[in-house]
Amino acid sequence: MSLTELLLPAFVASLILTGIHAYLGVHVVERGVIFVDLSLAQIAALGTTVAYLMGHDLHSGMAYFYSLGFTFLGAAVFAFSRVHRKTRIPQEAVIGIVYAVSAAVAILVMSKATQETEHLKEMLVGNILSVTWPELFKTAVLYSLVGVFHYVLRDRFLLISMNEAEAERRGWNIRFWDFLFYVSFGFVVTSSVAIAGVLLVFCFLIVPSVTAMLFSARLGPRLAIGWSMGALVSAGGVALSYALDLPTGATIVATFGGALLIVAGLRRALWRQGTSALSMDARSGRLP
Amino acid sequence: MKKTALLFLALLFAPAAAGLAQAKVRIVSTLQDFASISQSIGGDLIEADALAKGYQDPHFVDAKPSFILKLSRADLLIVAGLELEIGYLPPLIDQSRNAKIHPGGPGYLDVSVGCDILERPTGQVTRAMGDVHPYGNPHYWTDPNNGRIIARSIAARLIQLDPANRAAYEKNLAAFEAKLGEKDKEWLAKMAPYANAKVVTFHRSWPNFAKHFKLDVVGEIEPKPGIPPSPTHTLEIINLIASDKIKVIMVEPYFDLKTPKYMAGKTGAAVVVTYPSVGGLPEIKDYFDLFDYDIGALVKALGGGNP
Repeated sequence: MSLTELLLPAFVASLILTGIHAYLGVHVVERGVIFVDLSLAQIAALGTTVAYLMGHDLHSGMAYFYSLGFTFLGAAVFAFSRVHRKTRIPQEAVIGIVYAVSAAVAILVMSKATQETEHLKEMLVGNILSVTWPELFKTAVLYSLVGVFHYVLRDRFLLISMNEAEAERRGWNIRFWDFLFYVSFGFVVTSSVAIAGVLLVFCFLIVPSVTAMLFSARLGPRLAIGWSMGALVSAGGVALSYALDLPTGATIVATFGGALLIVAGLRRALWRQGTSALSMDARSGRLP
Repeated sequence: MKKTALLFLALLFAPAAAGLAQAKVRIVSTLQDFASISQSIGGDLIEADALAKGYQDPHFVDAKPSFILKLSRADLLIVAGLELEIGYLPPLIDQSRNAKIHPGGPGYLDVSVGCDILERPTGQVTRAMGDVHPYGNPHYWTDPNNGRIIARSIAARLIQLDPANRAAYEKNLAAFEAKLGEKDKEWLAKMAPYANAKVVTFHRSWPNFAKHFKLDVVGEIEPKPGIPPSPTHTLEIINLIASDKIKVIMVEPYFDLKTPKYMAGKTGAAVVVTYPSVGGLPEIKDYFDLFDYDIGALVKALGGGNP
């Protein structure tokens, strides 16, 4: 087996993951529900655990349906727990509670199981190097379907994410659309966490989207920046993990962090130059 | 009022009194393996209970309240030592408020003493080396010869704690050793056709097993236990399995099978889940079942395909 044979699937996997997550990331960051993916991933893991206790194999189809079912449950919780007007309980609080409780319940369930207890941990860690082509193909098809779903309903989802007040004014049933949004999101997160693990998925979701926000407020440029950054950094991360002989997933995550720092630094430098040029203009304007 | 208090006291001490009447030596071990061996030596004279279940990773055991209760009542605590239990046991011993079972006490027995311990690192040990045990590999009970030494240590300690039953303990120890000798011959005979077969393991849990049953562990999937393998290492192992025609990847039951299965899929090797401890599967009830199962699984995988 050659190096390319090993690294190519991992790289293609990061491209596929970037594709859908950089887009979903825009929604997640706009809505301010940053940790929703961790929470949904944890619920999905709880579903798998329960399936396991019911006697299904951890990597079987039934286990997948269980985890999906639990994810839908999480989607319903998040859809019905938007910021509460009277109590002003932020949604991140609910997300955090769901995360902690489902993680704890998974531990309780696993303590009753007799085998493979460490899977619980591994389910959320993932090893992007061990992804196979058939797995990638299935994932690509699934993500394309979710992508089409979001494209068709883009007006609804985008307006609710970016301008909730306007959506409300139009009299939309926001909870219903939110439920659809979180269900589609749950579909993606369940599969991507199985491939890449929680840390990496979180990175793909948040970092490209945040980076893009440094430069533009419009959706088009944000997606373009997010996708190019995701692709470049994934390639860089995979290459670094080979060059430095480090675990691949964690290296990609660290590379994302480094890239964000550099880009933010560059932007600041550019902005300073811009303002000093501007102030010079202003001075020269006032001079005569 | 006085009556209620008396009744309460009576209720409180009733179990203790019953315990005295039977006077069983209460043994708590960290691993089910030692509980099983203790049971063979102590028979009806003892009660043996293990903290970690055989299917749990012995490095990481989640402490439950019942552990402290068990420890507080124990006459004898048997540990694997070599820092295997360092992650969870010391605070439990403190909380048990049972002076007998503190290290150095009459009720504390580290059965690694006297065993053949492999991979004692030389030089400085740092966290940079991953999850490495500075006193050597703590999975030593997977060698039946060490099992014999463990049994002798347990018997000697039981005789110290309960001298009245010395004859029974000695008789049981002799029976255990005889059965172990017989079974070991059987196990070695089963493994003999595959002498020096090369295998890859997930974690470094098998040096003693490999030494005794003449397996050649040529690589580990996780070179630093607990840290996922890098691309270079993954590639090395896959190519090693392919070039040396390695048939078996041994994985402990508590690790995820994704990476081993991926490697097996690329090379045609078989992933064999082997159990390092008694209780790993419901059918592995005692120390003898442990080797019966593991050797059965290995022989099946090694014997399959081309000879």
